[in-house]
Amino acid sequence: MSKNLKSALEKVRAEYADIRYEKKSETKIVFNGEDLTEIGSNTTDGYVIRILNKGGYSSVAFTDFQDHEKAIHSALENAHLMSSHAKQPVVFATTTALKEDYKPRLNGDPRDITIDEKTQLTRKYNSLAMQNPKVATTNISYIEMIREKHFLSTEGSEINEELITTRISGLITSRNGNLIQNVRAAVGGSNGFAILKNREDVFENKTRIAVDLLKAEPITGGCCNAIVNQSLGGVFTHEAFGHFSEADIIENNRSMREKMQIGARLGSEIVNITDDPTLTDQLGHYKYDDEGIAACRTFLLKNGVLVGRLHSRRTSAAYGEPVNGHCVAEDYRYAPIIRMGTIFMEPGKETFEELLDKLGNGFYILDAKGGQTSGENFTFGAQYGYVVNKGKIGKMVRDINISGNLYATLKNIEAIGADLKLSEVGGCGKGQANIRSCYGTPHLIINDLIIGGK
Amino acid sequence: MDDLLAIARTCSDQAELYSIEQTEDTIVFEDSKLHDIKSTIQSGITIRLIKDRKLGFAYSRNLRDKKSLVDSALASLKGGVEAKFDFPMSRGFPQLDTYDDKISETTNTMVVDECLRISSLLQEKTNAQIYIDAAKKTSRTKIMNSTGAHLSTNMSSYLIMPQILFPGSATGIYRSFVFKTFQRLDDQCLNDLAEMYNRGQREMKTAGGKMKVLFMPESMYAFIWRLQSATSGESIFHRQSPLAGKLGERIFSEKLTITDDALDDSKPGARPFDDEGVPCRKHVLVEKGVLRNYYYDLNYAAQMNAEPTGHGFKTTRWGGDTLSVKPAPVTKYLTIEPGKQDFGQLIKSMDRGIIVCGALGAHSGNIPNGDFSIGLSPGLYVDKGEIVGRIKEAMIAGNIYEVMKRVVGIEGKSYPAYTGYYPAVLFDDISVASRS
Repeated sequence: MSKNLKSALEKVRAEYADIRYEKKSETKIVFNGEDLTEIGSNTTDGYVIRILNKGGYSSVAFTDFQDHEKAIHSALENAHLMSSHAKQPVVFATTTALKEDYKPRLNGDPRDITIDEKTQLTRKYNSLAMQNPKVATTNISYIEMIREKHFLSTEGSEINEELITTRISGLITSRNGNLIQNVRAAVGGSNGFAILKNREDVFENKTRIAVDLLKAEPITGGCCNAIVNQSLGGVFTHEAFGHFSEADIIENNRSMREKMQIGARLGSEIVNITDDPTLTDQLGHYKYDDEGIAACRTFLLKNGVLVGRLHSRRTSAAYGEPVNGHCVAEDYRYAPIIRMGTIFMEPGKETFEELLDKLGNGFYILDAKGGQTSGENFTFGAQYGYVVNKGKIGKMVRDINISGNLYATLKNIEAIGADLKLSEVGGCGKGQANIRSCYGTPHLIINDLIIGGK
Repeated sequence: MDDLLAIARTCSDQAELYSIEQTEDTIVFEDSKLHDIKSTIQSGITIRLIKDRKLGFAYSRNLRDKKSLVDSALASLKGGVEAKFDFPMSRGFPQLDTYDDKISETTNTMVVDECLRISSLLQEKTNAQIYIDAAKKTSRTKIMNSTGAHLSTNMSSYLIMPQILFPGSATGIYRSFVFKTFQRLDDQCLNDLAEMYNRGQREMKTAGGKMKVLFMPESMYAFIWRLQSATSGESIFHRQSPLAGKLGERIFSEKLTITDDALDDSKPGARPFDDEGVPCRKHVLVEKGVLRNYYYDLNYAAQMNAEPTGHGFKTTRWGGDTLSVKPAPVTKYLTIEPGKQDFGQLIKSMDRGIIVCGALGAHSGNIPNGDFSIGLSPGLYVDKGEIVGRIKEAMIAGNIYEVMKRVVGIEGKSYPAYTGYYPAVLFDDISVASRS
């Protein structure tokens, strides 16, 4: 393979080029309700070539190696078009060429586990939900994704890395008459198969919540103070703040770039946010990004002040800030873009009980159900919540969506617990999917959130 | 493909091949400057086998070894997934006009020049930041099966989406335009966008409460997703649709007729057959507010003892690889029948209300139940029949089976938007929560 990639790169007449070949093996086992509806293992592969020449940059993704000359021709032509229109030429930050083969440390290689054992485990977790008579259906799947990546550049980098992701996850849907409720249950990670075993408690607990939601009342809309749990805090950190620490999102947005200047006070003094793909046992772990740059722990917010952001080589040069290895692609079908690895809010000291006392009256809101951001505004859903009255958890509420302004909300974080927890499964859709997007916080008190309700 | 099908037939009772070849050039303008050009040249093939009423599935991007692809499908077959359907024998499809040869003459330089022209025009009228996404695509889809189906269709499309950004935001006033090949955009539609932006420049707050809300075509998908979920044969079969058993019942305002029509080749992307080789059709879901039909692929039609409706498509919602998924019931060609009012009349009929130009977080919340709770991305504020500014922080919430009964008026023209072609629709009495 390396010979093929080298021969392709040698044909490029440009200041810089790189090529990435990926082989992606996917195993999927899907249960819909009682029925096994899908099972199988498949392997696909493809290439991405990127060219930088005279200030113009372009990329082509292709699946058949026979198309590589056509791809090089298109990339050169498009880079020339970019160059002829560039008001500011594209420049890549300088780096050192690296050569390494990296394989993550695994606790149980999923390639050593038979598909029968994987099916049996998935069936067991699915059955825990389906045996409850109030559960109408499930969609629980085992997904295993193994990416073998080979990266070569004209600067001399040659990096091979494996990314292995496993998860058992899905929806549990309960029903009472016309009322339908659902919750998500998930276990998984990037450090092997063992993390999926002995996790019955996750599926039992989520089944109970799905059923309890049938008796819960819809939340009343308006402004309120709330404790959010680690999953929901993680989605806030990822959606509302994290995306704006991705340099490409704000690169050409003048007003956002002005607000997101290094040194700007964005949050309350207790807020510290970091992104760290080097945490080896976490879902978001990788060693090198898809530009061949070593991933770095990157401090983003320290005591509420912006101290860093996530970069590609292109944005690193444009901002005059250091590279940190955060430019990754979903797979061989895409050129890389800037992504978070493992983003988290650093823990404080307060216990959950102390947070409840401090909240007094409000809501305790749990578990993310999707989120989205647009400029400084964000919206995210929660799977369930409880009314909190005088520091005591009361009745369950449902249909919870929260909206807010990034800057106001970062300043409205009143307290941070000590119980940091990171997500086991991810799914960020910034044009490309990122199933290894990892996030988390401790329990947080956030004041003055807008809750949409009937 | 003939060789592969021959191999597959020797080891199965029924076999089906699906192949796709695609090219795409994407051009991105940010702040009126050319920011990125990227291209893809991709192909792939999938195989489904039925043997002893069990279903096997496999796929590949590079068919280097035909036998090993068949072997993967046979290995999958051992998992025991039941095949409750047969691959169809389909013939006599209508000839649709889906490919414009001029797409091959459309260069990236032409598209870049058009983006520059649009940027310049919009910037002159708004003095705002202009973002534009443009893409030209071609594809060739082939389906063969052991029953004798041998189908092929080509598609070409050109999409351009100009957006005028509000300061402090990553969104603004935008609209998508889709054609079968490159077309210069009409100045009037750009002027309309600029005028809307200019009217929404002032930041405002609302006290919240219940009010009229106008959903622009670009935000109607927030409601349509919930209807798609409820009318899918998959949801009906798995008991997660509130519309199960309600065919013939009135579910929405009688002003609403919602149809899925893959055969309408006046629009790009029309298809004579779905990804299983089943003929597509004009399929009414809701007629004058009355629920008329659900939609099915081969599998769920068989499970529900219903006719397949030509809705078996390979799609993913959040990225992912469509090649790697089996066909499932999907509506890709939805339209809401336009009404009789022009856009200006709709706004004039609002005493006080909000225009949802984009929905934030439409995928959150309880989609099967029809509940929605969305942020505004952005939302314009209307007072006494005039757009007077934009709302920064507010959420609107409700349930589509209540809200879609309260249609006040529908625009007389529809536009391409995410999930279909829709006009703007005005609803009454929707809850708005805000920080006043």
